[in-house]
Amino acid sequence: MAKKFNIALSSRLSPFQKFYLLVIAGFILGPFIPLVIQSFAFRWAWPDLLPGTWWLEQREKAMAPLAWDYVLSPYSRVWEATVNTVFIGTIVTAICLAICLPAARVLAREKFRGKSAFEFFLSLPLIVPEAAIGIALLMMFIRLGLAGSYVGIILAHLIPTIPYMVRMLTAVYQGLGRDFEEQAMILGANRWQVLRLVTLPMLLPGVVAGALFTFLVSTNIFLLTFFLGQGQIVTLPTLLFSKIAGGTLDASAAGITLIVTLPGIILLIISERFIKEEAFGKGFGN
Amino acid sequence: MSVSSPPAPSARLTARERRTRFWQMVQLMPIMAILVLLFGGALVLAILQSLGFAPWFGVNTFPDFSYFGALWGSSTFWASLGLTLYYATVSTVLALILGILLALALVKTFPSKTFYKYLYKLPLMIPYTVGIALAVLMLSNGGMLSRLAAFFGMIDDPSQFPQILKTHYGWGIIAVYVWKQTPFITLAVYAVLLGIGRETEEAAAILGASRRTIFFRVTLPQILPGVVSSTLICFAFNVGAFEAPFILGGGFPDTLPVVAWRYFNDADYTLQLQGMATVVSIGLVAGVILFGYLAAYRRYERRMGRN
Repeated sequence: MAKKFNIALSSRLSPFQKFYLLVIAGFILGPFIPLVIQSFAFRWAWPDLLPGTWWLEQREKAMAPLAWDYVLSPYSRVWEATVNTVFIGTIVTAICLAICLPAARVLAREKFRGKSAFEFFLSLPLIVPEAAIGIALLMMFIRLGLAGSYVGIILAHLIPTIPYMVRMLTAVYQGLGRDFEEQAMILGANRWQVLRLVTLPMLLPGVVAGALFTFLVSTNIFLLTFFLGQGQIVTLPTLLFSKIAGGTLDASAAGITLIVTLPGIILLIISERFIKEEAFGKGFGN
Repeated sequence: MSVSSPPAPSARLTARERRTRFWQMVQLMPIMAILVLLFGGALVLAILQSLGFAPWFGVNTFPDFSYFGALWGSSTFWASLGLTLYYATVSTVLALILGILLALALVKTFPSKTFYKYLYKLPLMIPYTVGIALAVLMLSNGGMLSRLAAFFGMIDDPSQFPQILKTHYGWGIIAVYVWKQTPFITLAVYAVLLGIGRETEEAAAILGASRRTIFFRVTLPQILPGVVSSTLICFAFNVGAFEAPFILGGGFPDTLPVVAWRYFNDADYTLQLQGMATVVSIGLVAGVILFGYLAAYRRYERRMGRN
């Protein structure tokens, strides 16, 4: 009895949990090891655990750029895709912030008729399958002349990003409370001063978290960009898709995969301080 | 500014109230407009088109249920639907189990906790296409697992390795979804676990509950909101996902999003209406399932005495 009691209360890992964490680390990180190796391989025959011939041994002899030479050359369109991804992500984040901040303030602080219905409507883009939206939007955008344009892609990216942004910012406003603003007003600050000197500084960490997360969602979107970009606008996910669509992965595709992973790693390192797990603890639709 | 003040029956206050209402509307309007015009517009257009309204192709037989009839009458549609739901369900359930186990481990105290809090979010940060590339590298017949199997002498030819990719069992697709979504569910569950603290679990332990009882009777009911919201999102995504089944799937019959895409890219543009009927079907099926799921959850919540 006493022993069982101890296990149930323990704040330390059980042996199974230790083992499980190792398995998870292997599951998440493991595949990246052969990916890095593959990106440096020239010939990697089947049962060998390491490539027989490496890229560096062959790069002088080859006629065309190989592996990393190809990835970093303009032929691979990696640079173009990176610029597009960052550009679209930045604009989407800016628009999303601008339109979600006021809405989040209202949702966090005011009561009005139809509020719960409105909140449910806001969550809908998360649970309507992307393929349904993507193809229907493409039809609409072809009619409007927006297919294959930056405007079209940016507009489409707003659909899945708004729900996350509104949720995160609403949580921030709820945590902020109204007292500090009211005190500033009592002390004679005008609306603009309250916004600039009280509200914004207190909101900042939450706003940064929302912005980072929105940027992240936007840079990861494949389907909407692929359908609406019409092959004219490549981003990192769609570029990688075109490289691996055949179901094989050569050295240059492995290199591109690593490049596509890079923004995520950078965002992970920056955002860990800002994106709090607590922001995701809300139930659905209420 | 303050709407929470009790409304007094004076005309001046009503005017002020009306003004606040107006400002609320103005602030909600931009997201409202974008979602209604783009999201709602796309849905309405899809439904109209699937019912035969496409004057720009010279087709206008609205309302015409023949596209749905043709689609739902073919057995391949049902095979596709079955595959779509099978991949979506199996991967959501697997990701849920792995995610809850991981979240339960993460609330404990251990030396490498900071590292793990970074590590588990990695798949969340990178596109699905990366996951697909990794699946190709690891799981194909000439892939890393097959090489490892050969290294340990279990097989001596790539063809002896069990085929994982490009079959209708879809283990490659499921592996990608699970790899990408376990972190998402972990994040949601871990967030709730942090919020509820350990007091109730400790109370149950003191009262003599076993670990199994504590999990199913104390922890699980409390993390349920996180579980429901994250699985809803994952399931809906999986139903509508295109890239993984397109690259890793077993070919005909394809999942519904791939079928819709093929119709849409067909040289015969009248098939686009059929494609729209497919798209609307995806939305309908997902909607019915998710609505049922949410309704069941709400009923459970009410039975538990939570609103």
